Amino acid sequence: MTEPATDSTEAAQATAEPDFLKVAGLHAGYGQARVVQGLDFSVARGEVCAILGPNGAGKTTTLRALCGMVRGRGSVTLNGTELLGRSPEQTARLGVAHVPEGRGTFNDLTVEENLRVGAHLRTGRWRRDGRTERTAVAADLERVYGYFPKLRQRSRQAAGSLSGGEQQMLAIGRALMLRPSLLLLDEPSLGLAPLVTRELFEIVRAVNEEERTTVIVVEQNAQLALDVAHRAHVLEAGRLVLSGPSQEIREDGQVAEVYLGVSVRSGKGG
Amino acid sequence: MSAVTELLQQVVEGVGSGAVYASLALALVLIHRFTGIVNFAQGELAMISTYVAWQLVASGMSFWLALPVTLAVSFAGGMLVERIVIRPVQNAPELTMVIVTVGLFIFVNAMAGLIWSFTVKDFPQPFPDGGIDLGGVRVDWSSLGIIAVVAVVMSLLYVLFQHTSVGLVMRAVAGNPASARLSGIRVGRVLMLGWGLAATVGAVSGVLVAPVLFLEPNMMGGVLIYAFAAATLGGFDSPVGAVVGGLLVGVAETLAGAYVDVIGADLKVGVPLVIILAVLLVRPQGLFGRAAVERA
Repeated sequence: MTEPATDSTEAAQATAEPDFLKVAGLHAGYGQARVVQGLDFSVARGEVCAILGPNGAGKTTTLRALCGMVRGRGSVTLNGTELLGRSPEQTARLGVAHVPEGRGTFNDLTVEENLRVGAHLRTGRWRRDGRTERTAVAADLERVYGYFPKLRQRSRQAAGSLSGGEQQMLAIGRALMLRPSLLLLDEPSLGLAPLVTRELFEIVRAVNEEERTTVIVVEQNAQLALDVAHRAHVLEAGRLVLSGPSQEIREDGQVAEVYLGVSVRSGKGG
Repeated sequence: MSAVTELLQQVVEGVGSGAVYASLALALVLIHRFTGIVNFAQGELAMISTYVAWQLVASGMSFWLALPVTLAVSFAGGMLVERIVIRPVQNAPELTMVIVTVGLFIFVNAMAGLIWSFTVKDFPQPFPDGGIDLGGVRVDWSSLGIIAVVAVVMSLLYVLFQHTSVGLVMRAVAGNPASARLSGIRVGRVLMLGWGLAATVGAVSGVLVAPVLFLEPNMMGGVLIYAFAAATLGGFDSPVGAVVGGLLVGVAETLAGAYVDVIGADLKVGVPLVIILAVLLVRPQGLFGRAAVERA
């Protein structure tokens, strides 16, 4: 395995804290259905990591186990702190921001209110530094509007009236308001036009580069995800079948076979 | 008295009783927004709050001191009900939860009877006798008082929900609890808060209606039906609808009693039932509610 030689800072980051997120022997599922069956992988601080695989491979379940939406066995540590056994509201407090599949925006709330809910953990009255924190939240609103200018135009509009792409932007923006150290994106491209998805991934790349936020993105659209991700893991039937730098994965014939090439070979999937 | 002033007189009285319905309907709507069910015990919770107020006044406290104390007790009581009775079944099917509230209804009713007996108690009228004359329309101080108290409560709730960070968090939880969790909101605590608020708003209706109806454990049974009609008319997911619905139901009830001979005073209770039926047939989501749209 070779580090991508094109980007030396990236390699430096990866070696600095290679086990920022460490997943070991992760099993997870719903009731009797065991969806994820023994995953081991690490994500370095500041890295964008893609989890790829066909429908039902356990990508979403993996992501949900990380944030506490589904229960998992094994071990998941973020910066040395165990995440398993915690509820989503607890992992959020540890800096994990999960953007769920289907976006999960608060449709009745305005765009700006959605973003403020995202900053909820930081603005509580009980905080002694509440005032400085409120200024910081105002600055973060600007920061998010900077990434997503469309959200600024619609800041007073109900989130439910936004287009799918705008809602996905809002969901990511809300997650950023948490100032997360780990951002989890579940199928951000779902139901979006290719152009919108591309724009979205460019913003994710910008966020990662400017804030060094570690990102894990689960995607069906492998091409797109591999363009942004530094590393990728390919899942099939709840197990890792391939891991490596994005470039290698892209060029690997096995991925084309297992995953990308399905439509080419059978001529019908998509 | 001319026909017009006669009509206005009826409308004013209708608004007075409508304010009480609005208050209990708002409690129902709050619970529906937060927990997704109709709480059949809402009236009984208001009834027991009213007994608390009665007990405080009977032991020598002034009404206007007893009122805030009662509301505080109701708030705590509502939070306890959520934590102890509702939380254990919150992931159960809706029907299970509704039946739990029916059980709560029977339990609270029986407890009130056990503690305070089923004999009727005289509840003090907090507002002065008499009223004012507005161009031939006589408005009792008691009606004005009820309207004023309900208006103050509604305004406070509006400010809480629209202009405070706690209110924002509560609206977020009502809209999408799963996403609220992902933003680090402790949803359980917010639901307790919601039930506490609902119990408080409901208590206002009980305390205001008690001087008119006299206090006994079954006092709120009839009021609950009017509140159901109000919430159905306004839309079960709309707080504004609950208030408008409450006032409309109050006015409709008074007008029907005064102008429709067949109905009179005895059959007035049929009015809310007719309203419920008509709304469900014509516009099931109510005036301000949104029709349920399922994404395909």
